Amino acid sequence: MMARWKTPLLGFVLALLVTTLSGSLIQTQFNLAAIAALGAEISLTTRLGTSAQDLLGFAPLYAAMVAVALAVALPLATLGWRWLPLPPGLLYPLAAALGLWLAFTIADALAPMPTLIAATRSLSGTLAMLGGAALGGLVYACCRAGRTS
Amino acid sequence: MKRLGPWLAAPLLVGLAHADYRLETVVEGLEHPWSLAFLPDGGMLVTERPGRLRLVDTDGELREAPVAGVPEVFAEAQAGLFEVMLAPDFADSGLLYLSYAYGDLSANNTCLGRARFNGEGLSAGEVLFCASPAKRGASHYGGRMALLPDETLVLTLGDGFDYREQAQNAGNHLGSLVRLTLDGRVPDDNPFLGDGSARPELYSIGHRNVQGIVYDDERDELLINEHGPRGGDELNRIQPGANYGWPLTSHGVDYTGARITPFRELPAFTPPLLHWTPSIAPSGMALYRGDAFPDWQGDLFVSALAGQQVRRLIREEGRVVEQQALFEELGARIRDVRVGPDGYLYLLTDHAEGALVRVVPEE
Repeated sequence: MMARWKTPLLGFVLALLVTTLSGSLIQTQFNLAAIAALGAEISLTTRLGTSAQDLLGFAPLYAAMVAVALAVALPLATLGWRWLPLPPGLLYPLAAALGLWLAFTIADALAPMPTLIAATRSLSGTLAMLGGAALGGLVYACCRAGRTS
Repeated sequence: MKRLGPWLAAPLLVGLAHADYRLETVVEGLEHPWSLAFLPDGGMLVTERPGRLRLVDTDGELREAPVAGVPEVFAEAQAGLFEVMLAPDFADSGLLYLSYAYGDLSANNTCLGRARFNGEGLSAGEVLFCASPAKRGASHYGGRMALLPDETLVLTLGDGFDYREQAQNAGNHLGSLVRLTLDGRVPDDNPFLGDGSARPELYSIGHRNVQGIVYDDERDELLINEHGPRGGDELNRIQPGANYGWPLTSHGVDYTGARITPFRELPAFTPPLLHWTPSIAPSGMALYRGDAFPDWQGDLFVSALAGQQVRRLIREEGRVVEQQALFEELGARIRDVRVGPDGYLYLLTDHAEGALVRVVPEE
């Protein structure tokens, strides 16, 4: 039998990976869309290359931000389930997205520039990034469900 | 001898003999000094970013009370009072120019004002130009000025950070240089004047945050430096009406490590003469013409914030062929570098307790 803490930890790691990788890919597409809107032609090769560069250049820092956000949000969601008994498939995605939104807000307040992550300058970009976190939260919920089933 | 790393795109190397110089602190206790101007009587005016103009008298003493009559500025983060520049006829008219941030955190940008200085205070202040639109946040204002020989002035502006794509939009002033007559009107030969969708004040576009500007009268060249993001600080030669590419082209990446653009250069845009990657965060810029340091004749001096140095750029036919890092022993962010009428270099250190430092020959 897997130790009690191992499944949530595995779920956390998978959620971190999904949120980080999806977020990195999403923000790349938003940045490229902004460049394309200025008239530049973005070939598929360029798109793939830039996405890969961001996985190397952007994802590590973003992973740190996501890790802190999820490390707070997911346990809090577990604790809060007693008062807000939502289905796990809704509770954890919501918690992960809210946690990341709070992380964006705090980072923007602390960083010297108005907006740290360029893709979050727009509502659509922010929601897309939070969608990635919700996907991570869903993975976490699935892992927990696997343990308890 | 100082040897720099191999990362800069332009030829650097540098095996130059260190010029023999001595650093003298002229004035201490300046709060984030930003710019200085040399008065005909031997005194100096120094701006402090929180919104004060200070007088250093002919004996090198800092007048305790700030100069009265400075316009109200928006002082926050990078915003505040920027440059002071004397009018060409200052000795007769007493006129000077100030650049500064106006507005508040939710709506602000860069303004240019003019006022008369009588040795004690400012009077007859007027606003000549304000960049628009007003934007949110307190980053990227430009704020440097240079006089051109045709009795016009060029004011540098920034992209406001969050509005970087607007640097490509000639319908506003974000991320541009503007050229004005000395009383703030649009010169009738400005390059965008015939374009109905463009702002008539524009001189060039596609800039990020222009922090240094120099007109080289011998080469008839206007040169600027601008902050890149993480890497991609640039030295550019300005052509009227040209587009310098930001954010479509850059040698840098975002502070998060994300690519802002996949393109370092594109045919439609004027490439930099030189870029600094990693960044040195260039601030002021001066062209050396003087007698105190004969070896420095015609060289450019670029002060650096993150780099905590002044970068000497040696040129041949306008091309930078070598660089030398100077004054690192100060261990300070350097906001501005100027050549005084005495041929000495003057530096402003960017700290809450900043200083005015003079560089004189050793002997």
